[in-house]
Amino acid sequence: MLTVTETPFFFARDQARLFGFLHLPAGPITTGWVMSHPFAEEKLWSHRVFVSFARALAQRGHAVLRFDYMGAGDSSGTTPDTSLDTHLSDLKEAIAELSRRVPQLSTIGLAGLRLGASFAALTAEAAAKDEQLALLRHAPLILWDPVLDGDGYFQEVLRSNLSTQLAVYGKVVDNREALTARILGGEPVNVDGYDIGKALLESCGVNPLLDVTPKQHLGPTLVMQIAASKAQKDREDLAALAASYRQGSVQRAAEQPFWREIKPFYARAEQLQALTLQWLDQHAAETAAELAQDTHRSSANA
Amino acid sequence: MHDVEVVTFPNAEGLPLYGTLHHPAQPQPELPVVVLLSPGVKMRVGPGRLYVPLTQMLTEAGHRVLRFDFYGLGDAAGELEETQLADVYNHIEVGRYVADTQAAMQWLREHLGSQQFILGGLCGGAITALLTAQREPQVAGLLSLGMTVTLASNAATPAKYLTRAQLDSRRRGYYRRLLQPKSWLRLLTFQSEYGVIWRSMKRLIIKEPPPQSQSQSQQAIEQRGNANPLFPPAYFAFLARGGQALMLFSEKDRLQSEYEEKFVAAYQEQLQPYQSQIHQHIVKDANHVLSFTPWQREMVAVSQQWLRRLYPQAAGERNA
Repeated sequence: MLTVTETPFFFARDQARLFGFLHLPAGPITTGWVMSHPFAEEKLWSHRVFVSFARALAQRGHAVLRFDYMGAGDSSGTTPDTSLDTHLSDLKEAIAELSRRVPQLSTIGLAGLRLGASFAALTAEAAAKDEQLALLRHAPLILWDPVLDGDGYFQEVLRSNLSTQLAVYGKVVDNREALTARILGGEPVNVDGYDIGKALLESCGVNPLLDVTPKQHLGPTLVMQIAASKAQKDREDLAALAASYRQGSVQRAAEQPFWREIKPFYARAEQLQALTLQWLDQHAAETAAELAQDTHRSSANA
Repeated sequence: MHDVEVVTFPNAEGLPLYGTLHHPAQPQPELPVVVLLSPGVKMRVGPGRLYVPLTQMLTEAGHRVLRFDFYGLGDAAGELEETQLADVYNHIEVGRYVADTQAAMQWLREHLGSQQFILGGLCGGAITALLTAQREPQVAGLLSLGMTVTLASNAATPAKYLTRAQLDSRRRGYYRRLLQPKSWLRLLTFQSEYGVIWRSMKRLIIKEPPPQSQSQSQQAIEQRGNANPLFPPAYFAFLARGGQALMLFSEKDRLQSEYEEKFVAAYQEQLQPYQSQIHQHIVKDANHVLSFTPWQREMVAVSQQWLRRLYPQAAGERNA
């Protein structure tokens, strides 16, 4: 067992105060990870799965930073202050913060869930043209159940408001069209305690949020479909997303939707975690084999 | 904006617990420190970040506020063995996190010199606050949001333990779904809760007697079914030593009717001497987690009024 130090702290992105939590193993570290959490209440339900995965990565010698986006968790701000831009800026600052705290890192991978996976994918793509994100370029990218259709996603989010209306008033007072119109008219709409504002809906509630055009990201990319039962079909959109990456692969983990309230208690997503770590091991083995081949070629040429 | 720092302290087992300590812009060390306790399996900000506006109000009133994660939850160390949420909730309801709360209080005593505390929280946080208050005489106030007076594992048999209000609510739901094919499919494929359907409809046919107080009949206690046996002694011990309680409930939450039917109805006489120490408030229409903004605002406003009554010297009152 590696000795891992866990440190909570705050860091700044412009005027925002972001909460971070660093898992730092003892010994030499070359790979870092920043984890990108899902939106609103999905973050809270999946929190322990994130913590468990971060601890598993740290036990394998990786430095891992989890953090709260502005308007989430212990970070400052509220959801109406947020947009796609604020999320991407927060993630970029978290990457910079990890580099500052662990300067020896040569690569930083991103791992995200749901909307957090979409933010991770967009940031990895931006790295091709952004020198400040250079450590991401060849790093692994893990996308757990990413959101491709932002419009569909936010319509699903608004359904939760309808459920609350139904439970409280016995009927739907404002349907989704009315709620969407209210948001776009500048009046935030509350979903499970989070106010959805115009800037967020206009920037993230779009289709596509993530497209399947060929990607610039050079590192290996895992797109994970999370499906509780075998009856659920393989998702073609996720396969197409994986295929759009140079080293993309799609896998399927049999897990309940642990980002929602369900009967089981999810301290960790066993299969999701095992498959992801297995994929990382395989990637590490391939990288080592390539390095060995390069070395062999160099020796032969000499 | 108030100042905030991250804190780490060990629990009784030596496991590190993490939290945030919020300092008011105008500190008033004589005011009790408020410790907000996590509900259920949610982390220290509460569902829908409910504790964020509450913390803001508390710091503006001059209180220091600590929020932290219990072991096995949030960012904290430790692992829970349970595989079902109801079992986790059940362990919380019988005091799993009392020792962690005491560790937090001890840390606050050592680091801030705190001598007086208000413990608060939603649901599981509220019962943890009360069970801790029973053991810690320095707890002066209980800021309870949706106190749970039952045990969650028994909720697995709803046909037996639902309150009258819950049964009426279920029946109204059945009426609404009469025209939904999905509901009929559930009924015909044996997926429905037949016991609950029967009990909710039976109330229309057979008139049930009104709930009796404990002095009238010992049977009333037995009928309380899944009531948490730890709640009444803890509550009365807290009240007997002068503790002040804000008991805030949401109107559309089963916890409100459970409190009324499974506790108040059975202990009316014993509660009588303590009425002045209990401030009860029901947020109209609200759900369990007070998710809509007006409900959150009402909760914050009611909490603020309660504190102003208890601590008129607080910053918010002085500035008002």
